[in-house]
Amino acid sequence: MEFSRLRKFTALAGVASLALVAAGCSGGGDKAASADNPVTLTVTTFGTFGYEDLYAEYEKQNPGVTIEATNIDRGSNARTDAFTKLAAGSGLSDVTAIEEGWLGSIMEVSDQFVDLKEYGAEDIKGNWVDWKFKQGTDPNGRVIGYGTDIGPQALCFNGKLFEAAGLPSDREKVAELFGGKNATWDKYFELGRQYKAATGKAWYDQSGFVWNSMVNQMTEGYYTKDGKLNVEGNKEMRAKFDMLAAGTADGLSSNQTQFDWGNGKAFVDGSFAVHVCPAWMLGTIKGQLESAGGGAASGWDVADVFPGGASNWGGAFLSVPKSSKHPAEAAKLAAWLTAPEQQIKQSAAANNFPSTLEAQAKIVEAAKPNELFNNAPYGAIFESRAEGVIAQFKGPDDSVIQENVFGPALKMLDSGKGNADQAWNEAVKLLNDLVVNN
Amino acid sequence: MTTTLNRPAAGKATATKPKPTFRQRLNVLDMKASPYLYIAPFFILFALVGLFPLGYTFFVSLFDWHLLKGQGEFVGFQNFVEVLQDRFFWNSLFNTVSIFLISTIPQLIMATIIAAVLDQNLRAKTFWRMSILLPYVVTPVAVAMIFTNMFGEQYGLINNVLSSFGIDPIMWKNDTLPSHIAIATMVNWRWTGYNALILLAAMQSVPRDIYESAAIDGAGSVRRFFSITLPSIRPTMVFVIVTATIGGLQIFTEPRLFDPVAAGGTARQFQTTVLYLWEMAFQRQNFGKASTIAWLLFLIILLFGIVNWLISRRIATNGDDRGAASRRRRKRSLAASAKADDAGLAAQGAGAPESTPRSGK
Repeated sequence: MEFSRLRKFTALAGVASLALVAAGCSGGGDKAASADNPVTLTVTTFGTFGYEDLYAEYEKQNPGVTIEATNIDRGSNARTDAFTKLAAGSGLSDVTAIEEGWLGSIMEVSDQFVDLKEYGAEDIKGNWVDWKFKQGTDPNGRVIGYGTDIGPQALCFNGKLFEAAGLPSDREKVAELFGGKNATWDKYFELGRQYKAATGKAWYDQSGFVWNSMVNQMTEGYYTKDGKLNVEGNKEMRAKFDMLAAGTADGLSSNQTQFDWGNGKAFVDGSFAVHVCPAWMLGTIKGQLESAGGGAASGWDVADVFPGGASNWGGAFLSVPKSSKHPAEAAKLAAWLTAPEQQIKQSAAANNFPSTLEAQAKIVEAAKPNELFNNAPYGAIFESRAEGVIAQFKGPDDSVIQENVFGPALKMLDSGKGNADQAWNEAVKLLNDLVVNN
Repeated sequence: MTTTLNRPAAGKATATKPKPTFRQRLNVLDMKASPYLYIAPFFILFALVGLFPLGYTFFVSLFDWHLLKGQGEFVGFQNFVEVLQDRFFWNSLFNTVSIFLISTIPQLIMATIIAAVLDQNLRAKTFWRMSILLPYVVTPVAVAMIFTNMFGEQYGLINNVLSSFGIDPIMWKNDTLPSHIAIATMVNWRWTGYNALILLAAMQSVPRDIYESAAIDGAGSVRRFFSITLPSIRPTMVFVIVTATIGGLQIFTEPRLFDPVAAGGTARQFQTTVLYLWEMAFQRQNFGKASTIAWLLFLIILLFGIVNWLISRRIATNGDDRGAASRRRRKRSLAASAKADDAGLAAQGAGAPESTPRSGK
């Protein structure tokens, strides 16, 4: 409603901010920052990044650098923010975080980002796990993003609920229960039915995350390696969809809202007992438990096992857009933030798992327990879960397919408004409407 | 002033026109151009932030235009054809109109009633007036977040209260009608007070003596409200209805935040047209089609605005029929008197007895 009334004010504000920007740009150029040549760098991150202390540290080490940080609540909103600014041709922060899920879209316009090889990317290439570095490299070999964290998936479970259902609650025993190294989705759903029979309660929070995990695990996801859509007529994907649909139809889904969970209440009231956990999810769950007044006593724990084998979901990159006024300074900051030493600190602050080998090793070595998750040695667990992860090719519309095509179809299942056939057909129809004939 | 300036010239030959001095020319320029300069800031701003975007949006709508990759092929009206055949476009239009009707109508009725109550002699007037404006001060984002929480399906306050009465929880987010009601509630909560205050201002300018004479004539308070208050605030009413219509058809924030993951509900059950436009531009990245939707929405709002204006004009004049008739009669008699004047006849005050002011016109 405020559109028309606010128009004039917006225009004024726009003029004012242009003036400010013009004033702000007057100094500098791209000389190295120093006390005599102050530089302000803007950084945009999303979700739980855990960079606050690192910014202060960097400012202290580099006199003349001021960091203005923005954090957007979640990846999908950061995507909108980044796309809008790319389309507008200005406004992207000097250092912009990109999520793996929409990296495919960014790759289509990778020429709008600085090639970090010009700022020494080759020298530090060996820091990262191989596939993470490759993901940040565009088809022409330009490096447009330094990896921050990765999302190897483990299985979170609620020990208290497991005990009440007569299942083992010790994390090693739980890993064995699911089949250890040979854990399968069949076993996962079988245990779910067993749990449901014992307690009458749901097994997982909603179908969407389970589906993401299943798809991320496949060698080829929504796209084939050469960038063709790979959904319609994909028998392997359909079989997984049917398996999930059958589980949901048996009442294994608690039909929660993603990233909402009743403001976290679903994590403390025993609505569901297992949760797929890419490393960064521990940070998300921490936030949910805090907002619902839960804590270590809520019973959550994480086991070194994942149905169907190794899987990676998410993780982010830091990139420097071409529109940046201080690309050298920005690249330096991005490299520093993603260096092993800082990744360890980030991991401690944000509960995620680093993408550099050295940082991973150090975290395993430190064996710091995660108090919120029943003192689980998360470093060792995720290091073990990261083994065998293959980076799947992400196409330009990957995140649209995940959220706008399969989102509604899976909700149909969760809310009992359709069976597997109807939901799959809906997904195919949406795919044609939203992606193929867009 | 002109005469003083002209004086020296007056002595010379009067056949040729005197050449205007610099000051004179400046003066003329001042008279002719200044008013335009005074109103120019608005029109320059309007051209910059109103007219130009409108034209540019139309330009974009004629192309295949990718959000990130930019301008593509010229496709003429192909985007319009495709959007008009798009089931989601019509779905969004249905949702928009539905939410608009559920919100605007009760909102305006409530606002009028509240304004009428506030127009009475109340104690602590300012307190009451400020109170009803309070929701307007809260940002829509905060409103949407609080209401979204209350309307939660499994943990929301409203369903909790309902279940304590043994009523089944209402699917505020997944069912179409309940979700529309939920969103309309947020809109109403925010805008009722604002509209009430504008209507109140209009009501205050109605001369009190009309009410007094009506009361003496035996008109009750309901009668006075319908026969005096409503017709008197007609222009304001039209303004409120038109702005409410424009706003109501552009609802975005509330449905956007009601489901923060998908754009307007998983099955688009409360996706309004603006939200669909947003999805088209920033999720599907089809800027051409998004511009097309923007233009279609613009045309639809224009249409609604015109229809609304016509209807509200009719409704508001209904009680005023006699007034209109008397105006017509007066016009006729005035014309007649003019003729009579020409004929050299005195026909004074032909329309005077009828032209007692009604409804302040």
